[in-house]
Amino acid sequence: MNSIEKRLVELNKLQDLQQRSHWMNNLHPLGKLLISVIYIFLVTSVGKYEIVPLILLSVYIIFTYIIGELSFREGIYRMRLILPLVLFVGIFNPFLDKTTVMIAGYSVSGGMVSMLTLMIKGLYTVLAVYVLIATTSIDDICYALRTVKVPKIIVIVIMLIYRYIDVMSNEADRIYTAYRLRAPGQKGIEYRSWGTLVGQWLLRSMDKARVVYESMHLRGFKGDFILKKKGVKKIDVIYPIVWGLILLFIRFYAGRGVL
Amino acid sequence: MKTGVSGELLNISGLSFSYEKDSVVLKDISFTANYGESIGLVGANGIGKSTLMKLMVGLFLDYTGDITVVGHKMNKKNLDHIREHIGYVFQDSDSQLFLTTVEDDVAFGPRNYGLSEEEVEERVSEALRLVGIENLRDNKTYKLSGGEKKLASIATILSMKPDIIIMDEPSVALDPRNRRNLIQVLKGIGGLKIIASHDLDFVSKTCERTILLDEGTIVYDGRTEDVLGNSELLEAHGL
Repeated sequence: MNSIEKRLVELNKLQDLQQRSHWMNNLHPLGKLLISVIYIFLVTSVGKYEIVPLILLSVYIIFTYIIGELSFREGIYRMRLILPLVLFVGIFNPFLDKTTVMIAGYSVSGGMVSMLTLMIKGLYTVLAVYVLIATTSIDDICYALRTVKVPKIIVIVIMLIYRYIDVMSNEADRIYTAYRLRAPGQKGIEYRSWGTLVGQWLLRSMDKARVVYESMHLRGFKGDFILKKKGVKKIDVIYPIVWGLILLFIRFYAGRGVL
Repeated sequence: MKTGVSGELLNISGLSFSYEKDSVVLKDISFTANYGESIGLVGANGIGKSTLMKLMVGLFLDYTGDITVVGHKMNKKNLDHIREHIGYVFQDSDSQLFLTTVEDDVAFGPRNYGLSEEEVEERVSEALRLVGIENLRDNKTYKLSGGEKKLASIATILSMKPDIIIMDEPSVALDPRNRRNLIQVLKGIGGLKIIASHDLDFVSKTCERTILLDEGTIVYDGRTEDVLGNSELLEAHGL
């Protein structure tokens, strides 16, 4: 399997997760979206030396991964492209921040703590996003975005990008496979062929995208995806409220005596 | 069908079209098609079958001549109205199916036309029943087999209850069993069907009238058995 095929398989696996018949998948997407946004906001708002509330905020990640039957390893693996960036963003803090802070009665280097908090914040954010996208389809996320009045042009762009990623990846896979089969023993694509192949890929992807758009247009698409209205159940209201309260409590009250 | 219309559903008169100056794709095409007819559109590669079909659904409007669909003249103003009457099944089912589940995709058209959720539900169930894939309702579109994708893409059009259905190479890439199944499905669909295909056997089993195109013009328009039984005629026009 070449690297493009691997990416397509990963995308399909993610879509399989989104389509599971699991109670977390069946929750109203608006609640899941809101709680993800609130969580990310609370995590990023934690002060750079406040390690305790940050550790306690992991309860959301732990709960959603265990109860949601999501693989933590998969979550990390899927986000591997972003993770190095979020993990290394604070790598110079120990050298630049010479403050000393007290944690649980111990004196600790402020630079080390701030580096750690930055890393944890990045990790939580990425994992929380994974929880959302693994339990909510793109259609549902877009439905939730429209519900909170995000401009339709933005939502349509998100939806179309998602559709066209698939179209473009499939075209890239076809072109690359055809190339490999006629260039046995060659590692990768020869530099002289790159221009032609990329040109072909763009032209073919555009052609495919045009047909998809025509197909939408012929079925009455006028610039807004009209998705099935979702009913609100008790659990759809309870879930974000309970989590909102827990997270707010942790963020503002828990761990006060430790730091 | 949507409007309960009968009689003449499609009238094409003196239709000519070119993508570029000096290279005419279709020349002086004229024919009419009535409710209940099933018409095969045959011809060699590149003679303008797909272009003609795209003109019928209003994807190109810069042509000369007249196209009238269910009494409405094809123009920019009437386009939305015309598209409620006419459905187009693309050759590549992947282009037709762009939502996550079969149900969402089949419901896409009716929802865009502002039907209530009850009506949408009714239309989806009926369309899936007509093509015999009720069991695939909640399935993911990207996981369907080629034959299932074709049936699902036909269902996406049937849910809009069009008076006219246009299909581009519907039997392409289908195995014999799916092909036989599709023939039965098409026989069960009413209204006017126009099927472009190189699969002459498929055309003979689904269409009673056939239009043969060559070099952008209609060279024969008549009973399917007369066209397909005339091997000299077919040979002379690249088939």
